[in-house]
This record gives sequence, structure tokens and C-alpha cells, in this order.
Amino acid sequence: MTTGAASYGALLDAVRGVRWPARRRATGATIGAHRSRLRGSSSEFSEFRPYRQGDDPRRVDWRLLARSDRAYVRLTTDRATMRTEIILDASASMAFPPVTLERWQRAREVAIGLAAVAHAESDPVGLSIAAEAPVRIPPRARRSVIAEMIRAVETVTARGSSGLAPLLASSRAARVAVITDLLGDAEELLAASRLALAAGSEVVLLHLLTLEELDPPAEAQLAVDPEQPELRRSLDADGRRRYRAALDSWMERAQGDFRAAGVRYVRALASESAARIVRRVAADAPADE
Amino acid sequence: MTFLAPWALLAGVLAAAGVVALHLVARRRPASYPLPTARFVPDRRTLVSRASRRPRDLLLLLLRVLLILSAAAAFARPVLTPRRSAIARILLLDRSAAVANPAEATRRARELVSDGVPTRLIAFDSAVAVLGEELGVLDSLDRVPPTHGGRVASVSALMAAARRLGSEIGAGADSVELALVSPLTDREVDAASDSIRALWPGRVRLVPIAATPATRAMPPLGRAVRAEDVLGPALGGRTVREDTHAVRLVRGEPSGADSALARSGGVVVRWDSIGTRTAVPLAVAMGDDVVVATLARTSRDSDGVVLARWADGSPAAIERPLGEGCLREVAIGVPVSGDLPLSPTFQRIVNGLTDACASVRVDAGMPLDSARRAAFIGPARAARGSALANSAERPTPITSWLLGVALACALLELLLRRSYGEPGAAEAA
Repeated sequence: MTTGAASYGALLDAVRGVRWPARRRATGATIGAHRSRLRGSSSEFSEFRPYRQGDDPRRVDWRLLARSDRAYVRLTTDRATMRTEIILDASASMAFPPVTLERWQRAREVAIGLAAVAHAESDPVGLSIAAEAPVRIPPRARRSVIAEMIRAVETVTARGSSGLAPLLASSRAARVAVITDLLGDAEELLAASRLALAAGSEVVLLHLLTLEELDPPAEAQLAVDPEQPELRRSLDADGRRRYRAALDSWMERAQGDFRAAGVRYVRALASESAARIVRRVAADAPADE
Repeated sequence: MTFLAPWALLAGVLAAAGVVALHLVARRRPASYPLPTARFVPDRRTLVSRASRRPRDLLLLLLRVLLILSAAAAFARPVLTPRRSAIARILLLDRSAAVANPAEATRRARELVSDGVPTRLIAFDSAVAVLGEELGVLDSLDRVPPTHGGRVASVSALMAAARRLGSEIGAGADSVELALVSPLTDREVDAASDSIRALWPGRVRLVPIAATPATRAMPPLGRAVRAEDVLGPALGGRTVREDTHAVRLVRGEPSGADSALARSGGVVVRWDSIGTRTAVPLAVAMGDDVVVATLARTSRDSDGVVLARWADGSPAAIERPLGEGCLREVAIGVPVSGDLPLSPTFQRIVNGLTDACASVRVDAGMPLDSARRAAFIGPARAARGSALANSAERPTPITSWLLGVALACALLELLLRRSYGEPGAAEAA
């Protein structure tokens, strides 16, 4: 394992034991850690239901019938795995701040952390990187998939302006976590999220911000968009005030739009630790539990 | 150093100050900072004005200031004003045949220059020569006998040389004294002397010395000329005596005895064409005497001092020094008939051609009378240096150098600006 991969060791230790329950019942056929939509013959008792015509007679609880002279069917809860895919934004805006590249570094760590958490629950987990040369690792449950992901994120450099929406639209995973700064194709991503939600997938969006974006440093007198170099704006005192107002408005609008669409929107600062961000994403309680 | 167009220098200084101000207060693009959320910054102008106590792009500033100042200094037309002395002197020393005692002339010249005034020496020996500033030249002149060949000095030539030299040294002196050590005889002054003298705008300090006395008589003939000879009327009255300074008329190549006579100081005149029968109308001139008659013309070697010339300028009689005497060749064919021998002009020419050698024949003339001498000396004051010099300022190559520096600065500035890229990029880097 590379030196970069070795640096993920502490993170993997930190997120060990974290659970990332599915927000919806899983539809997978493989036995896993998530509640399944199916109720079958597992040993985990759920409830009794009066027998209806057509029920499997083998599921009738004969002892209860003998005691109460009524026919009840014994229901059990099944557990299933959940195909999880992490979509990582590798556009140029992620490589910020210019010197430390803190956002890109944190995004990679969070992606690996979330994948490790899902993989620990036996979920097949995959990774898609929206880079100039897109990288896609399909969801797998084998042990080496995390190491494969680490190698993939270490070889990618954040540059260009590749879109996230096509990756989300083509994903067949039941749970998709998108790690982005929302400075690319946000509108298309929102539309693709709606489609994925309608198809039964669970979409989690981690909006990564930096302190330098919230409060640009004093030496930033001429702001240049790394994805659109021709966009150059002067940051004087009045410009800063109006910038903060516009940025706040945009963040609130993005949060509202994604949440209204049913997307789990989580906002985090890149200055936070990756383990903390992973816990915040995973600890969010499922809506239907 | 002075500037002929100081306003150009002033304009250059103002322009340079403007450049410095522009480097202190300049509208420039600030350092760019990559900000992914730049789209939320209001769209306003990206050029800002910033005043600074320290100019930016120091090297560029220095090049631009140097460029402007160099060009301005060049256009201001700098000239070098030489260091001026109060007085300078041009000493004209006559060492021609008109001077009876050349050593006396040198002594008077040495007395003259002993006052320490910077002096340039012009001497006339056989011709005008500017001998330089070193007064040791006078000592050298003492050791070298004059080689004037019997010629007297030409005051016109001396004054013309003095005027040329005055143009050179006039810029370096407030006044220039012209001193002439000469007997100043009437033979040294010619028709052009007055007009050339008028070109010197000041006094001529005359140091008179003794002139060579004009007491020489015509040399005797070695042999008497026959009465029927065509030259008889002209030479009949001449003394006949066979001595070392006698004149010998020969026809054909001179013999050894003739050469011996010439070497000992005599005059051998080879005149072949006396009594010729074929003649055509020709003119011959010797000094102020011109004869037009039916003459015969023979070809003669022109290597020597020309004594007489034909009308077309070719030599009719020449003289070549030989030992202490000389050998003359006369190409004038005199016809046997006619009254030409009786012509006084022809007789003067014949006597001139049978006169003593030029090296010993000295006619210094008489010293000028007091009125002409006073007129020659002129006003009481010496010539002003500024009146002599064409320009008080000497042209200097510094203008070319300044323009070269300006051009080099312009090229360097262009290269430097290209290496910087857009304004402010150097600071951003």
C-alpha cells in the first residue's frame, strides 16, 4: 500500500464501529445489515397477523391456533445488504485552498471513510470519481475494494469541470453518497437526484465548504474562478460584504432545494476531521425508522 | 559642458518624474487569488489604484528613467566648453632669405616667449610650417641652418596660416596675440597681403629684425659674347671675367669643366636654340616680363626650379642646383633675324636667365615705410579668442553615446516588459 493509502489507516480505525443504516428498507436479496422490504422465514420475529387466504400455511403459528383457536401467521423481519456508491467531485474547485488543497484531501478521506463504513456492514460499495478521466469502481463486497478505492483516489488530481449528474444518473446503487462543493452542475445534479430518488435509491449529498470561501483572506483582492479563469472579480470591502450575502443565500437555497427533493443534505467544513464528517453523515437517523 | 537646447533637458526631467509617479501610483491588476466561489463576488472593475511609497518594478523604472534622461540630454545638444586661458600667442618667425641673421630672429623670438604666455610657433623657411607648442623648437631651429633657397617669406602665407591656427586656439583663450618676427620688407608683402591681414581681428605685434642687404651685382660672364650673337645686345655690357662665380653659356651637353664650374659656385646656362631659323609666334614669361615673338620651342626636362614659362604654362627655362652653383637649361629658340634682341623686355629676360643662382641671389627688398607698417600692425588690442574661433563650443561625441544609451535602454525595457508579461505579473509572481 502506498504512503497515501497508509495515511488512511488512522481514519479507518476512527470509523470502525460506525453504522450507516439505510434510510429506506433495503431491497437486496443478500442477507445484510439493513432492514429488508421482504419478510420471510428468518429467525428474527416481528409480529403476528391474522391468516388471510393465500398465506403460506407453513407460516401459521399452530401453537397460537391451539391456544386461541384463531389462525395467525408469524411474520419475521429480513435483513439485506445495500449497494452503496460514493460519487466524488474532482473538479478544479475542489482543489482549494490553493496551497493546502484541504477540501480535496478531506473529500477523498470522507469518501474512503464512508465506503469503509458501508463495507463493514457487508454492503457492496463502489466509487465514481468525476474527474477529467472519470474513474468508476462498481459496487463490490470483496475485502480488497477499499484498498482499490484508496489507490484510485490517490491517483486522481482535482482539475477541470467534469459533471456529477451523469454519474448519478447512471448509478444503479440503492444508496448514493455525493461528495461535492456544488459549484459545478448543481442544477443537473438536483434533477438527477430526483430521478434516483424516484427509482428508490437513497441519495446523500455532502456539501463541503472551506473557511476561505466563507471568509476570503485579505490578500485575495482579485478572485479568479479556477474552473472559469476568465471570471475575475475584485474583492474590495463592499464586494466582500455582498459576496458573503450572496454565498449565504446560495447555500440556503441549495440546502432547501435538495432537502425538498428528498436528498439528505449534509453541510460540512473541510477543516473538520474526516472521521467527524463520516459520523455526521452516517449517524443521521433514517427517516422511516 | 553646456546645453544648446536646455529646454529638452527640462522636458526630459519632467517626463522622468512623471514615470516615477506612475510607478508610485499606478492602476494595475491586483494579485489574483483562485476562489471557486468567485461567481458570488459582484461583477465590478478588476483594476485598482494603489499608491505606494516604494515604486514597483524598480529595474523597469530605472531603465525608463535612464532612457528618457539619455534621450533628453542628447536632444539638449550638449557641447564641451574648453578651459580658457587669458591670452595665447601665435609667433610667426621669419627665417627666409629676407632675414640677414637667422640667429638674431631666433633670439628675439626666445625673448618674446620668455613671458610664459602659451605660444604656438609658425616658421617660414622655404615654406610655411606650424612647428607646435614646444618652445624647444626654437633651440632646434638654432642648430639647423635655413633652407630658404633664396626665397623671401610671403606675409600672405604666414597670415593665412596664423588665421587658421587662430581658429583652433581661439576657443581656448580670451585673446590671442599675433607676433611677427620679421624684417617685413616690401618683397615679403604682395597684393593679397592687405586683404589677408584684414582677416586677423586684432593687432600684429611686429618684432623687426635686420633685412638682408640688397647690394649684390650681376655675376660676370666667363666669356665675352660676340657682337653678332643674338644675345649680344643684352649681354654686351656685362663684365667678362673667368672666376668661380662666372656665368658660362654653353650649347649642347655641358662638359666636365662646365660641371666643375657649376660645382664651385658658377652658373652654367645651356642655351641650344640660339640662332634658330624655324620659328612660330609664341609667348614666354619670366617674372613680370612677357615677350611675344616668333620663337622656336624645344623640349626640356622640367625637373628643377622653373625660371620662365611658355604661355601654356610649360617650363621654358629651369634651374637645377649643382654643388654650390647651378645648371640652367633654356628652351627658348631665338631667331637669327628680327629685332627681338633689341627688345628691353627680352634683354631683361636674358639677363635674368644669366643671373646668379637662386640660392645666392637674394633680393630681400626694402623694409616697409612707417605708414604701411603701422597699417599692417593694426589696432592696439589683441584679437579676441571668440572672434577667431568658429564656435566657442567644440562638438562632442557624447550626443551619439547618449542616443546609444537611450536605444539600449529602450531595447532592454522592451525585453524586460515582455518577460514580466502583463503589468503587475512580476509582483504576483
